[in-house]
Amino acid sequence: MSAITVQNFSYAYQHPHKVLDHITLHVESGSFTALLGPSGAGKTSLCLAVAGAIPHYFGGSLSGTVTVGGTVTTDSSMPELACTVGSVLQDYEIQLVTMTVEEEIAFSLENQGMSEADIARCTRETLAAVGLTGYEKAEVASLSGGQKQRLAIGSVLAANPSVLVLDEPSSALDPEGTATLYQLLGALNKQRGLTILVVEHNITQLLPYADQFILLDQGKVVQAGSPETVLTTMWTKSITPEALPPLWQLKLSLEAQTGCKLAAWRNEQEAIDELMAVLAKEARHYA
Amino acid sequence: MMQKFAPLTKLLLTLFITLWSIMLQSMTALGLLIAGQLLLLVASQVRATVYKGIASLLLFAALLAGIQLALSGDTTLAITTALKMTAMTLVFFILLATTRMQDLSIALVSQCRVPHEYAFMLTAALRFIPDFLNESKAIQEAQACRGYRSQGNPLKRLTAYAAILKPLVLKAVSRSETMALSLELRGFANRRMSSFRSRVVLTARDYAAVMVMTGLSVFILNFC
Repeated sequence: MSAITVQNFSYAYQHPHKVLDHITLHVESGSFTALLGPSGAGKTSLCLAVAGAIPHYFGGSLSGTVTVGGTVTTDSSMPELACTVGSVLQDYEIQLVTMTVEEEIAFSLENQGMSEADIARCTRETLAAVGLTGYEKAEVASLSGGQKQRLAIGSVLAANPSVLVLDEPSSALDPEGTATLYQLLGALNKQRGLTILVVEHNITQLLPYADQFILLDQGKVVQAGSPETVLTTMWTKSITPEALPPLWQLKLSLEAQTGCKLAAWRNEQEAIDELMAVLAKEARHYA
Repeated sequence: MMQKFAPLTKLLLTLFITLWSIMLQSMTALGLLIAGQLLLLVASQVRATVYKGIASLLLFAALLAGIQLALSGDTTLAITTALKMTAMTLVFFILLATTRMQDLSIALVSQCRVPHEYAFMLTAALRFIPDFLNESKAIQEAQACRGYRSQGNPLKRLTAYAAILKPLVLKAVSRSETMALSLELRGFANRRMSSFRSRVVLTARDYAAVMVMTGLSVFILNFC
């Protein structure tokens, strides 16, 4: 079942400068999808279209449709869409608007008109899900960058959306914070069946979790499919090949130079295992 | 102690103390008003940072008295003005240090009939003070690397401060736009804020406090 369907969608903030040009794609329910592409490719605009901010907040000119959870975004309002799509913006700190952690979670629930008892229960559950139990009374300003990012995710998760959209969530995090963040997103995807759509430049961190990549360039979909298909396209068509994980740069170089076909490595261990097997086979061959 | 009162009672206290500060002319009475407020803060066991803020307030009041004295030459007027300003401002320390912002916001919306967008602005503004200060520090450091120095006479310093102020304001405007978007994305437009009304309901303690404050106002009006 499709969680997000974009059908022949074009959009311009100011006519006639299109930032999205005839986009057609499907994101399956429960999938972990990454939006890739160079700066200005239209990744953020596509996220905003899925959240309904395009066109409800930004206006502009559009054609085609974006359907989320069976609802066409243009036929719905942003508060209604907020129940289906949770959005974490690139500047996540500005998204945190209350003084304390528990108030931040409660804020989303109050927007839905939830009762006090339900808010208390939901707040407990959400803080546990994002690993912030014990921080209920902590002031938002006192949290670290990684904790603030998790709180921002928790604040939208509390509304129980079926789709979570994140725009470059690791841009202000250190490598350790990024790894922890993706572990959390991976767990939410697997355990809750949450559909995740994430804009990310750090493909290495995404590889263990993402099952679909969408490559955008100049407002158009260049390729959508498995990580292997999209990363190979990036390499062969030279679309930001620098963004490819070093592991994949090695894999694709080896494939190009040796002609052998290697598996779709998701982490270093998989690469080590396969390369050792290949080398052992070669050694046996020459022995 | 003050935490036990409803936010509306504390808002009324703020209003009453402001009125009393305007009505009272005697230095002794104003001194007693300030001492009473300090006692309330001590009894409420507020955080140490609040006292740091009060120390800055007292310093500012002394400065104000000095300027007033220099301009008018009237010592009584200078001291009375400083005392009035201190008394009026201290009550905001009591209000903000002993009330959860969320509760204050609920009280403003549900009891004072303030539109929730305006009540939210109050809480959001307070939430972003530390971020704003950090931003200011970062810009100062960045400009210092490019030769910015806050030295010289006050006029030179003020002119030089434009180098900090301009990026700070532009960044704040840009961030406020992002915040507006994020609020829309979180369904703020549909906000009803009915959930926590029970937290701000007035009790017998609150009604008693309001009666005492009204009685004191009548007394001040007739005898001071």
